[in-house]
Amino acid sequence: MPALNGLLWLISYWLIGEVVIHFSGLPISSGVVGMLLMGVTLSVIGRVPSSISAAAQPLIGLLAMLIMPGVVGVFFILDELAGQWLAILVALSLGTLLSVVTTLWLLKRLMGHHAH
Amino acid sequence: MPTDVLATLTATPLFAVGLTLAAFLVGSALFNRLKQPSWLPAILIAALLLAGALALIGMPYATYQQGAAWLTVLLGPATVALGMPLYQQLPRIRALWRPLAVCLPISAALATFYALGIAWLMGSPGQILASIAAKSVTAPIAIGITEQLGGNVALLMGALLVTGVVTIPCVSLCARVLHIDDERIIGFALGLNGHAIGTVRAFELSHTAGAFASLGMSLTGIFTALLLPLAWELIGVGSG
Repeated sequence: MPALNGLLWLISYWLIGEVVIHFSGLPISSGVVGMLLMGVTLSVIGRVPSSISAAAQPLIGLLAMLIMPGVVGVFFILDELAGQWLAILVALSLGTLLSVVTTLWLLKRLMGHHAH
Repeated sequence: MPTDVLATLTATPLFAVGLTLAAFLVGSALFNRLKQPSWLPAILIAALLLAGALALIGMPYATYQQGAAWLTVLLGPATVALGMPLYQQLPRIRALWRPLAVCLPISAALATFYALGIAWLMGSPGQILASIAAKSVTAPIAIGITEQLGGNVALLMGALLVTGVVTIPCVSLCARVLHIDDERIIGFALGLNGHAIGTVRAFELSHTAGAFASLGMSLTGIFTALLLPLAWELIGVGSG
């Protein structure tokens, strides 16, 4: 069962991330620590073991579903924030538009001759 | 639905898990049926369906969330799984490390700064500012940051949804206006600004875009997690 094997690796790396955070006190999530460690491990091995890709591929496809339960929570606090919504929505959408423009423009400029 | 039946069903977390799977599958099917509109991502359709279903059967959100935790626990290993596309694209990322390293801190800081500046100008109180500050950061990290700033996590999740959903059409529109068709730039912008929702979109475009999105998403998460709480203290927004 390669996928199960791979899942065990992913879970182990997440748990290692927990331990790293526990001892270092870094304010980041264990998932990110685990992801970076996974990237480093794979570059040391020099290939992706089939067990890892068997577990990682479907999980990546499910990312959107996994954040859904949290996202739905916003529909249940609509009343609490009455009168604040306009400012919040304008700040988020206009702010995002501005930062998207900045990112695209800046990276295009910086990449210059790298761009194809 | 009679309350006793509902009580029986909600006693098991499988009800919330099943409801989530159903909403996701129906949402994805509708998304494909609508020919994958960039302004209406599958996750928004699914979230609306799910919220509608919960309201219809009168299931309290807290009960649902408790059951769905059996599913969301997979968010941890799923985030670790992103190390794989990251590794696969490493040669292409390494070739661009300099522009990426310059772009990231500026863009990630501005992603927070623009939104906070606008909200502040429009008179939002400090509590709201603390809740939306991590709007471009991937959920598992953003929750930690928001708790540290004293914000409301439910509002943060809403801010993540709005930001992620808005990022997708913004990127396709701005890329067209700026004549950018490089999937690496588009992917990076999707992940940096639109966290997991933007990254999911980037993987729909191509594997390269997805890998650059994962990179943008994780670097933004780390950068914001390390510096935002510090900046918050220095500027003293929280006390305002």
